[in-house]
Amino acid sequence: MTLPWLLSWQTWPHPVVCPTCWQTFERITPATACISCGRQLTRRQMCSDCQRWPSQPRFYNQALFCYNAAMHDYFQRYKFQGDYRLRAVFAAAMQQRLATLAADCVVAIPVTPATMQYRGFNQVTGWLGTGLNDPVGLQTIAQTKARPQSQKTRAERLTTSQPFSLSSTFTVTNQRVVIVDDIYTTGRTIRHAADLLLESGAKSVIGLTLAR
Amino acid sequence: MQAEELYGRQLCLTPAEAREMPATTVKLPSMQVTKTLIQCCRCGSDLNRQLAQLPAAQFYCYQCLTLGRVSTLTSLYHIPEPNKFKADTTLTWTGQLTAAQATCAAELQQHFSKREQHLLWAVTGAGKTEMLFPGIAWALAQGWRVALASPRVDVCLELYPRLQAAFAHLPIALLHGHNPAPYQYCQLTICTTHQLLRFRAAFDVLIIDEVDAFPFAANPRLAYAVKQARKPESALLYLTATPSQALLKQVRHRTLSISYLPLRFHQHLLPPIRVSLQPRWWAQFQQGHLPTKLRRWLQQYVTVHQRFLIFVPRITQLAVVQQVIATAFPTLKGLTVHAADAQRLEKVQAMRTQQVQYLVTTTILERGVTFPGIDVIVLGADDAVFSTAALVQIAGRAGRSAQRPTGLVRMVVSHYTRPLKAAQRQIKQVNRKGRRLRAKMSTLSATTEV
Ligand SMILES: [Zn+2]
Ligand SMILES: [Zn+2]
Repeated sequence: MTLPWLLSWQTWPHPVVCPTCWQTFERITPATACISCGRQLTRRQMCSDCQRWPSQPRFYNQALFCYNAAMHDYFQRYKFQGDYRLRAVFAAAMQQRLATLAADCVVAIPVTPATMQYRGFNQVTGWLGTGLNDPVGLQTIAQTKARPQSQKTRAERLTTSQPFSLSSTFTVTNQRVVIVDDIYTTGRTIRHAADLLLESGAKSVIGLTLAR
Repeated sequence: MQAEELYGRQLCLTPAEAREMPATTVKLPSMQVTKTLIQCCRCGSDLNRQLAQLPAAQFYCYQCLTLGRVSTLTSLYHIPEPNKFKADTTLTWTGQLTAAQATCAAELQQHFSKREQHLLWAVTGAGKTEMLFPGIAWALAQGWRVALASPRVDVCLELYPRLQAAFAHLPIALLHGHNPAPYQYCQLTICTTHQLLRFRAAFDVLIIDEVDAFPFAANPRLAYAVKQARKPESALLYLTATPSQALLKQVRHRTLSISYLPLRFHQHLLPPIRVSLQPRWWAQFQQGHLPTKLRRWLQQYVTVHQRFLIFVPRITQLAVVQQVIATAFPTLKGLTVHAADAQRLEKVQAMRTQQVQYLVTTTILERGVTFPGIDVIVLGADDAVFSTAALVQIAGRAGRSAQRPTGLVRMVVSHYTRPLKAAQRQIKQVNRKGRRLRAKMSTLSATTEV
């Protein structure tokens, strides 16, 4: 997925939700967000959660919204109930922020084949375009006993092993890569993806998530 | 998952769940996709192709999502209803039906046994739930599967304990969107009409209570659900206090038979609607004045300590009306209440326990809530928020006690409207039948006395 290709996508009619509903979503102010995970703080610094991660100067995450009750409801309906129409709510916001990051290469976090089988879409690429996993780029590694991230405790999530691999035809050498995901919770998933890309030669990696 | 969860149902299963099901399981298409049409096989909705689209040329139904998504990625699984019931269906209710109720109850049972469609038009306060007991008990004793469904969750919640008390040894399934309890295969089910979409050819008797209530009346999807959920050969009973024109048309065309219970449980008629033309009532309230006639009525209520409800069309009018009344009659205690009022239950309770003499309210109290022996005033009954059904229901709030069976129903309007006239006509019509029934019963009791 390349940037010019992305920008060629039709823009969504705006506003998709009424102003009252839109107000229930809480925008993160970048000037006072965590420099590492993008969560809303009162001033720009590194939050306590991020201080527990090994230092990785070539990665940081940006998030657009706080994961509040309204965002929880949104994901309930979009991702878990599977109302694919709701991709339209944040498509423009995600595409606009992505454009400002001027990446050489954009990769979306993939969903597992099992998820694709019953949900029928990748919630991240739903905002960005096709709704399918990227054909090349990050791939999920088949795990023996996969439990959904949402059912794990924080400690369990932090010890999860690398769930991704890179397609053999995919090169990121010396590129500024943006990884897009839906929610930054513990950061484990997106940091696994970032580690993989950095090990594979990426110059830097920025995470972009809708919520934190 | 147990196989019996699929008896008479149609559910989306994961491939793993589907593999565990017995060989008798029927796999049905979940959606119909053609060049011109995309239709959900569970709820029957015709879908917009663009909105229903998933990636890779798949489709989903966005109309019945809250029941778990139906899509072309899954099938619907169904096991034909085997009527495998073992529970004790004894009717433990020991109450007595009035003669009129008993006649109606016998008619209902007849229609159940013949597996017919039928409409019961019972005035508000007629005691229609009790009238169902003999028929339901009979059907259960035949090993039939029975469901009582209503478009309104609050009606289901009210019915459940009454049915559970009437059939004390029978497990009853209560299904609605806010009930987290897992599904149970039961011979008797109480559910919202929305939940019927999960059933398929399940019920030998299906009863739809408050059939006229929003949102059933105008919702073809729920009519579809009723058709899906009952067996092809089954009884269907509609219950209502305010039948819609569509239902009455079926009665006129004789595609639907009808029973009337025009008398309330205490044998009295419905109070007629008295209309009072006061075109400037709201302007007067806004200027802080109490319309003269209203002042006279309230003066009377103060003197005799009569309790009453005042209905207004809009939430924003509640405070104004109450303020003007409170200024004119400082000793008269009242509260305002509306649907989204956080203290709604407490306020209704205050009215019940007679801590206040009146409530000013919007249409929310029209159904279900009863205060014995009250009078009712509707301000702006010509407003479009008051449908015929709503006006008849509001009128039915008055006079619901054996001690004070009459009750006054007054409606203040700028002009007559069609729904208002229709409501008056409907009340007159049932009262005419009620009078006839009373006359018949008195000749009956006269002859038996001789
Ligand atoms: Zn942080
Ligand atoms: Zn549907």
